[in-house]
This record gives sequence, C-alpha cells and structure tokens, in this order.
Amino acid sequence: MTRADGSRKPTLESIGDQVMCLCGCVATLNHCPHRDCATVAEIRPIIEKEIAEGKDETTILQDLAIRYGVQVLAAPPARGFSLTAWILPGVGLLAGLSFVLIIGRRWRKPSPVAAAIPAKPLDPKLLAAVEEEMKSSGLGAGG
Amino acid sequence: MSQLGSVGLVAALAFAAFAVVAGVVGGKLRSLRVVRSAERATLAFFVMVTVAVVALEYLILTNDFHNAYVAEHSNRDLLTFYKVAALWAGQEGSLLFWTWLLSIYSALAVLLNRKKNRQLMPYVVAVLMGTGVFFSSLVLFVANPFQELSLASPAGVQPFTPPDGNGLNPLLQYHSMVIHPPMLYLGYVGMVVPFAFAMAALITRQLGDNWIRTTRRWTMVPWMLLGLGILLGGNWAYAVLGWGGYWGWDPVENASLLPWLSGTAFLHSVMIQEKRGMLKVWNVVLVITTFFLSIFGTFLTRSGIVSSVHAFAQSNIGPFFAVFLSIIAFFSLTLLFLRLDHLKSENKLDSLVSRESGFLFNNWILLALVFAVLWGTLFPLISKAVQDVSVTVGAPFFNKTAIPMGLLLLFLTGAGPLLAWRKTSFQSLKRNFLAPLIIAGVSGAILLIAGVRHFYAWMTLVLSIFVGVCILGEFWKGARTRMKTAGENFAQALYNLTVRNTRRYGGYVVHLGIVLLFIGFAGLAFKTEAKGLMQEGDLLRVKNYLLRCDGLASGDTPNYEYTRALITVTKDGHAFTSMHPEKRFYKASQQPTSYVSIHPTLSEDLYVVLAGLDQDTGKAVIEVFINPLVMWVWIGGVVVFLGTLLALVPSRVEREMAEIRRAQEVAVQANDAI
Repeated sequence: MTRADGSRKPTLESIGDQVMCLCGCVATLNHCPHRDCATVAEIRPIIEKEIAEGKDETTILQDLAIRYGVQVLAAPPARGFSLTAWILPGVGLLAGLSFVLIIGRRWRKPSPVAAAIPAKPLDPKLLAAVEEEMKSSGLGAGG
Repeated sequence: MSQLGSVGLVAALAFAAFAVVAGVVGGKLRSLRVVRSAERATLAFFVMVTVAVVALEYLILTNDFHNAYVAEHSNRDLLTFYKVAALWAGQEGSLLFWTWLLSIYSALAVLLNRKKNRQLMPYVVAVLMGTGVFFSSLVLFVANPFQELSLASPAGVQPFTPPDGNGLNPLLQYHSMVIHPPMLYLGYVGMVVPFAFAMAALITRQLGDNWIRTTRRWTMVPWMLLGLGILLGGNWAYAVLGWGGYWGWDPVENASLLPWLSGTAFLHSVMIQEKRGMLKVWNVVLVITTFFLSIFGTFLTRSGIVSSVHAFAQSNIGPFFAVFLSIIAFFSLTLLFLRLDHLKSENKLDSLVSRESGFLFNNWILLALVFAVLWGTLFPLISKAVQDVSVTVGAPFFNKTAIPMGLLLLFLTGAGPLLAWRKTSFQSLKRNFLAPLIIAGVSGAILLIAGVRHFYAWMTLVLSIFVGVCILGEFWKGARTRMKTAGENFAQALYNLTVRNTRRYGGYVVHLGIVLLFIGFAGLAFKTEAKGLMQEGDLLRVKNYLLRCDGLASGDTPNYEYTRALITVTKDGHAFTSMHPEKRFYKASQQPTSYVSIHPTLSEDLYVVLAGLDQDTGKAVIEVFINPLVMWVWIGGVVVFLGTLLALVPSRVEREMAEIRRAQEVAVQANDAI
C-alpha cells in the first residue's frame, strides 16, 4: 500500500526483513529458525504497535535501534563512521574504474620496452631440427 | 589406532619439512637427485596423511568413543553414510581433511610434472609443502583429532569411554551437506597449486607463457569445484534451514564467494596475457589474491571472529592463521616487487572498445564485488575496533551494493565475447549487438506489460535475454559458417565447432549457466509467503494452491523422533501433489530440525514447512512459500559445471599446439646434445 506522500506503508514483513533477531540465530526477525523465539515474540508486537500508530519505516527502525542497540538493524545506519560501510563500495567501484581508464590510456602509448628489444632471428639449425621432427611426427605441411 | 593416526601426522610433518628444504636446496644447486627426493617426500606426505585419515575414519566407523572427536561428532545409531561425513563435521577432523586434500593436490602436481616444468618444480614443491607444514602442524599441535577422553578420579586421571557419542549436528544430516564441505575444500585447497606455480615462476624468473598455461588449468579445476560447493551449500540452506531462501549473505557464505570471484577475474585476464602478453603483474596479483582469500575464508570460518549460522566449529586457531596469512602476503608481494622488471607488457592497448578492454572492465567489476563483499563482511569487526559499536551487516546491505554490480557483470558477460581483439569497428558493433539489443528491448516491453514492475527483477530478466541471445548467436554464427564451408548439417557443425575450440565454447556454455543463475535470482522478487494453523481437515489457500491437512503422523527411528504433517495440494482445482514436511528431534544431540517438503517445477517451487505445534491449540504451524524460478539456480549451476568440464577438455587446436611444443622441446634437447 502506498501512502499519500508516495512512501510505502511499512508492514511487519518489510520491517522484519530489516531487523535482526537477537537470540543468537544470526538471522533476520522473519527468518529466525526457532519456533518459540522469545526475542521474536518480544519485538514483533512492538513493530505492530508502531505500525498501528502510523509511524513510518525509518522511525520504527530508529526506535528499535534506541531500544536494542544499533546491532538490531540488519544493515548499518548511514551516519557517522557507519556511513563508510555504504560509501566505500561505491568509492572502490569508481576508483577501480578510474584505474582501468588511466591504465588503458597509458597503454595506448607505445611501449618503450617493446620498441627497444628487437626480435631475435631464429637459429637455422634449430628451425631445421624442428621441421624434421614435425615431418616425422606427421605434423608437417602435408600432415 | 589413535596412536597410528598420531604417528601418521608426525611423519607427515617431517616429510613436509624435508620436502621444503630439499626443494629449495635442489632448486638452488640444480641437483636432480635432491629435487627428486623432495618430490618423493611430497608423495610420502600424502601417504602419511592418508594413514591419519584412515585411522580417524576407522575410529568413527567402529564407534570408538574413547576418542574425543568421535564422541563429539558421532553416535551408534548414525547412518554409516553420515559417519563417514563426520570426518569433516568438526574443527579437528575438517582441518585433517583439509590437509589430506592438500596432500592429494600436491601428489598430483608432482606426478603430472615428472617430465615437464622441471625448472619450476623444486619451488612448486617447496611452496606446497610449506603450506603442508603449516596445516599438519596445526592439526598435530593445536587441533588434534586423536585426543582421548579421560576423567579425574581419586585414583588419578583415568581413561574414559562414554557409552555413546553426541551425534552429528542434525543440520549436517542432509545429503547435499555431505558433499558440500568436500567440494568447498577441494576448491579452497586447490588454489594452492596455481599459487605455488606463480611463486616458482617468480623465483626462477620463468615468467613466459608456460607458467600461465599451467596455472590456468590448475585454477579452473578448484574454481569449478568451489562453485559447485557454493551451489550445494545453497541447496542445503534452501532444503534444511526452512526460511525459503538459498543465500543469506552470511559471513561464511561470503568467505567462499570471495576466492571464487577473484578466481573468475584471473581466468578471464589470463587470456589477455596469453594472447597479447599484457597484464602480467595483474595476473600474479590475482593468483596471490585468490590463494590469500582461500586461506582467509578458512580462517574466517574456523576462528569464530564473525557470527555465523555456519559456526559449527570454533577454537583458538585464529592467531595461527593470522600469522600464516601475514607470511603469505609478505613473501609473495616481496617476490612480486623484486621481479617487476620481468613482468613488463609486450603490447599496447589499441582501443577501449576491444576484447582486452572488455576483460579489463570484467576484472574491474569482479574485484569491486570482492571489495564490497569483503568490506561488508568485516565491517562489524572494524566498527567494533574503531568506534566500539556493534553493528550488523546483513542481507539488506549486500543486496543494495552487490546487485547493481552483478547486473553490470551480467551485461559484460554478453557484450565481452562479441568484441574483437585489439579493436572493434562500428560495423562490427552494429552487426553483433543490434539483434540482441532489439530482442532484449522488445522483451523488456513485454515484461512491463505483463506486470513485471520490480526494477531489479525486470533488469535482470532483460539483461539475461540480451546475454542469452549474444551467446546463442555465437554458436549459431559459428555453426552456420561451418555448414556453408564444410557442408555439414547443423548438429555436425555445432559439434565440430565446439571440439575444435573447447575452451572458447566451453566458456560460452559457462556464460549461459550464469544467465540461468541470474534468471533464478530474479524469481526472489516474486516470492509469496503464507502461514496458518492447521489440523485434520483444515484448508489453507496460497495463490492458486489449496492445501488440505490430512492429519499429523509421528514416529520414532533409532536416530530421531519425528512429527510429520500430511498435506494434500490441489492447484487450480486439480489434484497436484502430496507433501510431508517434518519436524525432527535428534536423540543423541537433543536438537530439533526441520525437514522441508518441496515440490519443484521449472516455473516455481511449492515449499512447505512444519514450523512446529501451536502450544494453545495443538495445531500444526504450517508455513508455505511459493518461490518462482528457483529450479533455474540449480540448473544454471550444473550448466556452469558442465561448461567448465568442456573448457578443460583439450581441443583439437590445443592438442596440435602441444604436439608442436613437444617437438620443439625434443629438437632443443637434440640440438643441445650435438
């Protein structure tokens, strides 16, 4: 359901996917494998109450973080040092792209090493020996 | 038998240490005799570790609960199938298993290189056995599976044998969980071989084509097995954990993905070095990174520094791994730095619109993904260290960061192979891309009209169609050319096209598998969930399925007690299937687990879980998931596996080139003798 301001109304499921169960299962609230988990039983009514009060998703998540600590959120908050969690992957992506483009441009100039090293002429004796071997193993021009 | 196992470990450590010294000395002195002794010591290492493994399996299979490991991870009523798997159920056994697989790879590397790579082999053996020294020391001194139980009594410490063991963790008592760890370990461990060859090439300055050709093959096998291991783990999570998903971005799952991603980058960029003599430094960096991430993944899984649903085994081995990782990083990067002069590029980049650039961009995305996943996995630790705040980094973070990168990668999977080496002309771009773009565009419009409005799912499907058309187009164009020039029919042309260049067309099959995987991933956006309390006669409707509960059955096996729901399903009013989800309680370990009932089809899976019994009413709590397109994930994984096998088969062209190289070697030797 979409609200008048365009935002989606939070549901128990949408919030439950963004909140960790704190019983030690290392899963989100919606996916805790314990049948009668006390943590799930405690947190779900809180979420339902706040949804009924008309609070939006951000406010509900903030309230849960205040009550249980920020580790209850399934993703770090985008503020303070935790902002780096969100920013650095993008920074890494852009830095990598810049690196590729810079390297690509640099490699488009002639390589002084490749130009300075002349190709060695083939040893005629070695070439003759190779051709003889190839003929005898059937891999020569007619093979 | 415990003593035999311990003797095996001690002897293995001794042989590994000897092989390291003999390998280095033999390489320095260029003494064939000393090098051969190092290789024989490597084979002896394999034999001794095998003795230790056989000893532990014997103890498990004979229910010798005087052994602490057996008492912890097995019990009398455990099926033999699972008793064998108990070898890798716990910390000590799994480290021994890791060491055994290392010994197998090392022995194979020695045996397959008796007559080639002779200048490299002394140092290959030294690096392999250096790793062997680390792992066998760890097993012998820190996590020894041959410890025996004892009890303190007034008379002193007495040997103790409990009447039965604690049993295998119920979560591990599932068929894909039996093969999942061996496949993963074969992947992790196998990465040591290309690393060893890379180090040997750096040490000996033999940095031509040979080492890269050898390393590529030795990377493909563990890469394939690691991918298979990841797929099997996903299959286990789907069938056993009962939450309807197969990938949760758990830290241990991420740890297995990291070396697979960097290995993928290496398998692509190596082609640039083979064809154009470029990216030499980068390829060495990738080989080092892949091996480092493999060991890092093992460290993450076993050290307990991250919270994970996979944390079956935790101990104090973390610091030892940290030291080993530091040694790997220091040694390999120092060697790389000292050999930079030998790794200069032989060619230049002619155009940014070329196959070479395509691979560069492919590497860019893959390594960006590695960074994003690694950063997210370690961020809880970093946050605790920097700001003393515990945070969780779960699926919402990884989905937001990894999915866009994954879609870019998917696009490159189709576009890359259509670019020409050195430079792609505009006419070529138009010829190769016009049809796929039009078909993908039209398909996108159809999907929108059909109601697919989830952006990422829509984009994934459109890109999958684009890439699929690109790849199938390559097969079609190649076969059509052969039909015209060689007069073959389509099937013959397709077959001959493929066998002449298995590496290329095997790679295309792998790409097709990736497309199928992404199609499967897109189905996650359309998942439906429902839940209900049911007793005999109750109905539960989910979409066009109607579930009727026909009652609950309960029973007792030697290993577990179970409660089973009997569910009959109709679809669109017609009889469809019957499903029997179970809740099990394992007696030995006193742990419950779910046994999910799944009815898979190509379009969607019907997935039913007996979550438990409602305490107030006694009714069964039934959870139902409808998971679209999941089957394509498993099919895609199998296609990737088959494509890799195809790419490993030497093509006719490769066999001919190998013959020519052998003839050249013989000629060189003959010339030297003259």
